[in-house]
Amino acid sequence: MDVGVAVKAALDLNVLRSNPDGSVAVENIPLVISEYDRNAVYEARRIADSTRGRVIIYSFLTWWPADRKEKDFENVIREALALGGDEAYVVVDPTVSGSEPRFTAKVLASLIRKYGSPSLVITGEASTDMTSSSIAPYLAATLGYSVVTFARSLKVSDGGIVVERDVEDYIETVRASLPAVVSVTGEINSPRLPTLLQIRKAFRKPLVKTTLSELGLSPMLPKYSDYRLVTVKRKRVILEDGSPEELVDKLVSYLVEEGVLKR
Amino acid sequence: MRVLAVSNSGKYYGDLEGFISRLGNVEEAILVTSDSPGGNFSKVYRVGDIYGDLLARIVGQVGEPDLVVGIHTRKVLEAVSYLAGSRDLPIVTEVTGLEDMTVTRNILSGRGTAKYSLSPPAVLTIAPGKFSGQLSLGPPEVVELGEKPSTEVVSRSEKSRTGVDIESAEIVVGVGRGFKEKDDLKLAFELAEALGGEVGCSRPIAADYKWLDEDRWIGISGKKLRGKLYIAVGISGAPQHIMAANDVKVIVAINKDKNAPIFEYTDYGIVGDLYQILPILTRKVRELRGV
Repeated sequence: MDVGVAVKAALDLNVLRSNPDGSVAVENIPLVISEYDRNAVYEARRIADSTRGRVIIYSFLTWWPADRKEKDFENVIREALALGGDEAYVVVDPTVSGSEPRFTAKVLASLIRKYGSPSLVITGEASTDMTSSSIAPYLAATLGYSVVTFARSLKVSDGGIVVERDVEDYIETVRASLPAVVSVTGEINSPRLPTLLQIRKAFRKPLVKTTLSELGLSPMLPKYSDYRLVTVKRKRVILEDGSPEELVDKLVSYLVEEGVLKR
Repeated sequence: MRVLAVSNSGKYYGDLEGFISRLGNVEEAILVTSDSPGGNFSKVYRVGDIYGDLLARIVGQVGEPDLVVGIHTRKVLEAVSYLAGSRDLPIVTEVTGLEDMTVTRNILSGRGTAKYSLSPPAVLTIAPGKFSGQLSLGPPEVVELGEKPSTEVVSRSEKSRTGVDIESAEIVVGVGRGFKEKDDLKLAFELAEALGGEVGCSRPIAADYKWLDEDRWIGISGKKLRGKLYIAVGISGAPQHIMAANDVKVIVAINKDKNAPIFEYTDYGIVGDLYQILPILTRKVRELRGV
């Protein structure tokens, strides 16, 4: 059975930059594979291997400007291929400057329909940059697939899937029919770093780029605005000189002063 | 304006009512819930469980509302996102603020914010704990719906838990990988007890080592803190962890690595060995509080 994975190239949280006015300097922030998407690719590989299928990577470059982001984006896709993908179909379009779940899901659905239509599509539980967590269900509804989110185990059986879902206070085991979209949590597996050989092989795997117009989609003006970095309002008083006894004394007096520690 | 509110627990009705009452000119607010009916909504549809295809059927019956507002829990999030997809509506999740018809949400794992201008019809989820208030549209007529979702729930098990509620605790002591052994966590439990607080933990402690139950896990995928004091001990500070402590009034970090990211997000930090610092801190807190 072929398994699709929707992968996101996310802004690297370790290298966030802002403009002098506090707005996020999207143009200057590198892209990395969104954390839980590694788990998604890894899980897809496992299932495809046991059912003799392919793993198909789908992605849409949402950050801008496309020409400056394209190299990072390709590296993310190559990483997904090294982690277990067999081929990739992606949208890189110079008219894109941001997206939102409604549009991203539409683009992914078009890619999935055009290239392979796998009956199981896996995503990470959330992207690390926008964390909407709504792509999997939105995509499922768009494709007419069933959906299960926050999976921490996934089994294909009898033409359907059996999933353990993490729904906050309890674990729910659900059965859903195929075709389906499933989002997975970080607990589902522990992806290994790709080996050098896997990385080298990834460069020989098919990576097909397309545009919105080739998919018959018109660009959408993003309704998101005013991306800004939160300035850290913490006091950052660091105590390091003195004996442990002295350091603790200082801390305790600060906490009493703050009114969070009462006699 | 007509609003459809969605919740899987009665404890969020106040959040939903608070958000909806701030919209102004709401003529009708229907609640879909899987918990006991409540709140001052115009009407309540009670369902066995919250799923997207059920919501889509209810919307089919009552007509498309101007806004669908769900509480941001995993159940509701999946269901309203599916509903949005089935009707090609825009969706914005985990909203923390509302001004006119522009909503704010956190992005970049809590390191940033973004705005989104709503033009109904649209679907939202709101972050718990950010809105409160009451509508005056009730008392609602309650309609019980017996329909079943297409996803079949085979079984349900409570996560193993200790009954602690670190989300509503005023003081939390967080433990991370700086602790060498499970046994050593007692140092943190003693401090928490002296402070009258609870013990929380970072992701590896709950998810990888399984030293503590998941209801103590502080993170975007775990619990979020909103008390007055958080003391992070031996925690380097992954963005997902830091974000979940953003709303705490005072953050303290104790870590032997001076370059640990957590120090950037703390009010007071001690660079030192937790095995030395914690026993002293516990003793001093006990002296101070007379416990």
